[in-house]
Amino acid sequence: MRTFLLSCFVALLTTATAWGQGAQISGRVSTSDQGPLPGINIIEEGTSNGTITDLDGNFSFRATTDTPVLLVSYLGYESLRIPYTGQQNIDILIKPDQTTLDEVVVIGYGTANRKEITSSIATVEGEDLNRMTVGNVSESLQGLAAGVQVINNGGGPGAAPNILIRGIVTNQGTAPLIVVDGVPLPEGTNLNFLNPGDIEDLQILKDGSATSIYGTRASNGVILVTTKRGGEGKASISASVSYGIQNLQEPSLAGANEYARVINARQMNDGQPAVYDLDAIDTDTDWWNEVYSDFAPVQNYNLQINGGGDKLNYLGSIAYFRDESHLDRGYWNRVTARFNVDYQVSDRLLIQQDINPRYEHWENTPNLFFNTLRIDPLTPVFVDFDEREGRNEFSIYGRSQNFVPNPVAAVARQFNKSYLFNFFSNTKLTYDITRNISFSSRLGLTLGQQRNDQFFPQFTIEPGLEENPESSVRSRMDQSFGYVWNNLIDYNQKFGLHSISATAGLVFERFQNNYVLGIRNDVILPNENFQFLDAAVGEGIQAFGNEGANTLESQLFRLRYNYDNRYFLFGSFRRDGSSRFPVNNRFANFYSFSGAWNVTEESFFNVPFINNLKLKAGFGQVGNQNIPASAFLFLVGNENFILGENEDRVVTNFISQFGNPNLQWEVVEDVNYGVEASLFNNSLSVNVDYYNKKSIGLLFPTSLPLFTGAPSRIWQNVGSFESVGWDIGLGYTKQVNDWTFSANATVNINESRAVELAPGNSQLFAQQRAEFGNNFLKVTELGQVVGLFYGFETAGIFRNQTEVNSHSTDEGQLIQPNAQPGDLIFVDQNGDGRISEDDLTTIGNPFPDFSAGLNINITYKRFDLNMQWYGVFGNDVYNYTKFFRTSGSSNVNVQEGLIDDAWNPNNVDANIPRLSTIDPNGNFLRSSDYFVEDGTFVRLKNIQLGYNFDIPWASQFRLYVSGQNLLTFTDYTGLDPEVSAGGGIINGLGIDFGRYPLARTVLVGLNIGF
Amino acid sequence: MRILTLLSLLLLLFTACNSDEYLEEPIRSTPTLAEILADGSSMEGFVNSAYDGVQENSWWQINFFRQIMDMASDDCWAGNTEQPRPDIISIAHYNNIDVGSNYLQDFWNYQYRGITKCNVVIQEIGNVTDIDPELADRLLGEVKFLRAFFYFQLVKNFGGVPIVMTFDELLTPDILNYQRSTVEEVYALIEQDLLDAVDLLPLKSEYSSADLGRATKGAAQGYLAKVYLFQERWREAADMANEVIQSSEYQLEDDFANVWNVENPNGTETIFEIRYRTDQAFAVGGVYGVTTGSREDGGWSWCTPSSYLEKAFLDEGDEIRLRSTIIKHGEPVFGDPDVTEFNAAPTRNKSARINRKFYIPQRFRETPYNQGNLPLNHILMRYADLLLIYAEASYFAGDEMSALNAMKQVRDRVQLETDMSLTGEALRDAIWKERRLELALEQHRVYDLRRQKINGVSRLATVFGPDGDFVRYNMEENTDEFELSNIGEDQAKGITFDINKHTVWPIPTSEIVLSRGMIVQNPNY
Repeated sequence: MRTFLLSCFVALLTTATAWGQGAQISGRVSTSDQGPLPGINIIEEGTSNGTITDLDGNFSFRATTDTPVLLVSYLGYESLRIPYTGQQNIDILIKPDQTTLDEVVVIGYGTANRKEITSSIATVEGEDLNRMTVGNVSESLQGLAAGVQVINNGGGPGAAPNILIRGIVTNQGTAPLIVVDGVPLPEGTNLNFLNPGDIEDLQILKDGSATSIYGTRASNGVILVTTKRGGEGKASISASVSYGIQNLQEPSLAGANEYARVINARQMNDGQPAVYDLDAIDTDTDWWNEVYSDFAPVQNYNLQINGGGDKLNYLGSIAYFRDESHLDRGYWNRVTARFNVDYQVSDRLLIQQDINPRYEHWENTPNLFFNTLRIDPLTPVFVDFDEREGRNEFSIYGRSQNFVPNPVAAVARQFNKSYLFNFFSNTKLTYDITRNISFSSRLGLTLGQQRNDQFFPQFTIEPGLEENPESSVRSRMDQSFGYVWNNLIDYNQKFGLHSISATAGLVFERFQNNYVLGIRNDVILPNENFQFLDAAVGEGIQAFGNEGANTLESQLFRLRYNYDNRYFLFGSFRRDGSSRFPVNNRFANFYSFSGAWNVTEESFFNVPFINNLKLKAGFGQVGNQNIPASAFLFLVGNENFILGENEDRVVTNFISQFGNPNLQWEVVEDVNYGVEASLFNNSLSVNVDYYNKKSIGLLFPTSLPLFTGAPSRIWQNVGSFESVGWDIGLGYTKQVNDWTFSANATVNINESRAVELAPGNSQLFAQQRAEFGNNFLKVTELGQVVGLFYGFETAGIFRNQTEVNSHSTDEGQLIQPNAQPGDLIFVDQNGDGRISEDDLTTIGNPFPDFSAGLNINITYKRFDLNMQWYGVFGNDVYNYTKFFRTSGSSNVNVQEGLIDDAWNPNNVDANIPRLSTIDPNGNFLRSSDYFVEDGTFVRLKNIQLGYNFDIPWASQFRLYVSGQNLLTFTDYTGLDPEVSAGGGIINGLGIDFGRYPLARTVLVGLNIGF
Repeated sequence: MRILTLLSLLLLLFTACNSDEYLEEPIRSTPTLAEILADGSSMEGFVNSAYDGVQENSWWQINFFRQIMDMASDDCWAGNTEQPRPDIISIAHYNNIDVGSNYLQDFWNYQYRGITKCNVVIQEIGNVTDIDPELADRLLGEVKFLRAFFYFQLVKNFGGVPIVMTFDELLTPDILNYQRSTVEEVYALIEQDLLDAVDLLPLKSEYSSADLGRATKGAAQGYLAKVYLFQERWREAADMANEVIQSSEYQLEDDFANVWNVENPNGTETIFEIRYRTDQAFAVGGVYGVTTGSREDGGWSWCTPSSYLEKAFLDEGDEIRLRSTIIKHGEPVFGDPDVTEFNAAPTRNKSARINRKFYIPQRFRETPYNQGNLPLNHILMRYADLLLIYAEASYFAGDEMSALNAMKQVRDRVQLETDMSLTGEALRDAIWKERRLELALEQHRVYDLRRQKINGVSRLATVFGPDGDFVRYNMEENTDEFELSNIGEDQAKGITFDINKHTVWPIPTSEIVLSRGMIVQNPNY
């Protein structure tokens, strides 16, 4: 109804403004199957004059001339151009635009039409990925694809987010396989290497029936990257430039006076004398601003040319990206070039050659966030001038009173630079043997070389504690070489309404890397020309080097069947052999099958508002080989020991790794049910998938009890994780006169549980923390969500002695005999009247109830506006920073206001425990749910406003301003609720250790096209 | 026809390659256990590695725990008053140990790592064909000695512990259901291993000079004597100690200052000693000089000697041992002419005293004076210790004359008179005091206090607790200005001692968690 009113209003307006001389035109727009269509745009060519159809598909307006040309357009339908020749009533028949359904989708080892797809594949267009200026494409992928969760790790320039496709069923390496133009890359490759401007689109293969063709490498899903290629036509050139400044959110930190009061209170509450005389404080260092600058630039430049003729198409691009940290040290530069050529040698033979060299150079950003929060504000950045006598430039820094190394000094002596050169070549030859059979062979080569130079200057800030008695130089060279060789035969045939497409292939993959590392001591002169190995003259000379390699050999087979575009069947099989498994377990088979039913193609189906409806179901298996190449072996390491009168060094042997000779492949199986629909004249698209994914023989590095003397964890096939969830994608487009509006929403609902664990491994622990009595922060328990937080449950804080006394057993025995008012109340889970290891329990879930993304594009005439929202709902965050920020543990600095916010007799309702150095109750010596908070947040990831100037010599001249991560709505008390620590998704997810936070960025940019 | 072509092509594709060779990518540079065991000479490497396990090559695995043990006695303070380290202080002061400590866990872990190293040899040495049988016997004797050593460390500190005797059993699922054995069972294993070692090992004098530092028959007997002593099997302890004495393999150093001396490695008094060397390229040096050193002297200032210990020397008139045991702020360092006024600033080092036994004189220091790179050997058992074991065991076995004679030998060296008329409890107390003064700061004290009992109660309870001698001294009698002027470390150390709890350390909490409760905690923790 509202749409109707709006349409009428707009129609009225346009009619009113279009008074005047030209012809009065009226007519009706309809389609063959759905009849009259409302809301269709009718514009007079060369003007902004026009109207839209009403509910009955009728339109009427006055043109500016007597013989105007009408442009009829609507999203999802083919556009028409109709010259007006004086008709009374024009009947316009428009046809649905088939391009979205005929769109070619890249699948593993081939392509398919969108309508043929029987599995779950999400497509993200390069255009959408390029709205944000980021070094790593996955950052802009966040929220754009249903079922794909992107978790930012924070970190400085060059840091890469984690990508999680459909939850967790595997422990080791949750990163998806990345395939660029048909070439799978080594595991652990993140998307840092890609120039976002080169991306045509990403296809994200989510379910087993789509990924099974990649066998052992696909257990975490597959991202297929397709790069842009040239097209026929004259050369077109485009260029884009953007420049932005990034700003970090400043955490609240106590000043010198409050810090001293907190430390004094910690002592005095234990009956000890105060440490600091508040009147004698003469230093108040604002460490945050000493270490971090307010703004850091990010810049991106892109130049692209493409074109082609009959036989030859080409695309060339070159791009430069630079991101700087907020510290005096730390940046990342990336220069990428790409040259993609397609040459049709003959009717039968097509040769494609892609070349993609890349150069990266970065200076490691020192990770000083943690220390900056902890160092005491009483310490000056530098020592007084009169104390600098005899000290070198790295030794003139103040030494903290609380043993936190001076972070400004740490920045000054950071000399850690890397230089990476990578060359990627992708050659493909396609030969049509007959009309139905074609053969293709693809060879992908990757050659990489990385150099890392480090220099550690001599300095003494505090002898024995904060010093490096001798300078040293360290230089490391890594080389890698990998190839992927795919050989495929494709067969396509049509028999009446049946069509068949079959593919068989043979694949070889090998990856090899090696390194040399040299370390020497004592450089001749302390300046930057003497930071190389040859400049060192000390006795200590160390050299290291090694080589590693792994191979994979696979056969694959796939069959697709299509009956009358109504029924689709799909089956695939892959046999993999991997060098990473013991000989007896080396080979494994993976298969999948799926099917789809295109309901709208049925003759009986006639629901006017449904333009397209497809139901699909599938099953697939994939494997996981992401384990260290030596995991099945017992390895022997060596050390040194002194024996004998002459103090001879003897080399000792010891078992450095416990192996598991029975190690097997981990298999992941899933079922997927999906609905794809387009509704209301294709204005609304709905994609809903339900999946159930399960691992079998999960690979897990288990911790053995320490009494086994095992030097390492042991890889075992310990059971099964199950991930169940929904991926929901909604798209809506609307065009009204000069306005277009489109919105895409994604919702991910997922729960991953440990459904089976091997005997004796019913609890898998991770994140052992020495400061919490060597207990673990994470546990995976049978039947529970994987990677839950682990610790003691608390029931608030004792407000007074009465509450301490009443926290007792029926016999009157105190459950926490060491507790005082202001201490945490721990829950005695087993009711044995005391708090012990037996009371440890799960205390939080880092996984959200759901996460959602919303991408909105609005254009009006030459203006465009984009907004990307992302939200995570119902997850818990382990706010580890509270461990020191609300306690002053080890005398580190605390959050502002703690002196009053912590429990004290005047604030008995506080939610922060009392200050104490000894902490006899163990408030800050135990993991507990005191540290666990709700991590729900909603973030405006990107907002961009652009204007495309009308300039005669350019096809595009668009200027824009944008803001990234400008708004975040959350109740989380830490700096940023979006946290993922190291140690893998299961073990690391949701623990806020205080990482380099995500920056807020404001950018301006220009896109030009010729 | 086309279908046939396609099918034959496919057939070709699928049969063309199935090469195991392509999938053969062995691990580079790191040998596998199977490869190493196939090499007969490797056994010695495994044995040598077990020696490594006695100390480990850095400060944190084992060494620092040993140092904390002295901090938990009346001989030392924790010492470092600048670094707030509740994980150290809580053990040294017997407060709040329950939450666990890294040092307890690492110590526990590394003893078992050592045991596993021994078990590999014990299990596999019989399968090695390419080895001299005499050498094989000796190597077996060495690892039996070392395994006993590791279990002794565990039982002294934690009470009964899980027993693992072979390598293969670690690989069975049942390992996850292991529980703690009793103290008696652990001691039975230790005794058997040491008895085997006594049979298999050569005397110190029978080793070649290149093997100096390996376990000897005398070392096995010496530890056996100590193990009997800890179980209060006095007669067996005295007899076993006597065998070592009668072997004439060991003598007291003439000069007490020669016992802990960089220039006297593996001296005549040494029964078991870890050898160290300063080396630029390999971690084969010691750490204690730095970890116990003064903050003003490149040290970490942990485990500073107490004035209470100094007083014990002064009360005895024991100047010779005092100057070789304690360095005091502002005074010259005995045996180090380069230092005339030692700096152990009282504001930063509780008590301003430093352990002289581990101190490295300036002339023996290499630059940089690094942690983990010190040349001073670490003595784990020496002849004076053995004589005093003999004295104590003889006394309790009723042989007071032998006890007096053995104690007299130890006192004679440091020019102290011995009252040969001592008898009964006075003699017992004299032997205990002698043991304290002779072996002060050598990481024995806390274990001696634990096992020595008066009326069935551990002497730890007479030293610590609200009425403990050490606590009372510090709270009421202590006039030492260094200690009183630095209350960064609480003067009331040990006041929270609980005799029902603190005579063993808690089992590392992670061990209880990882074993799903199969390993149970010590009482009252």
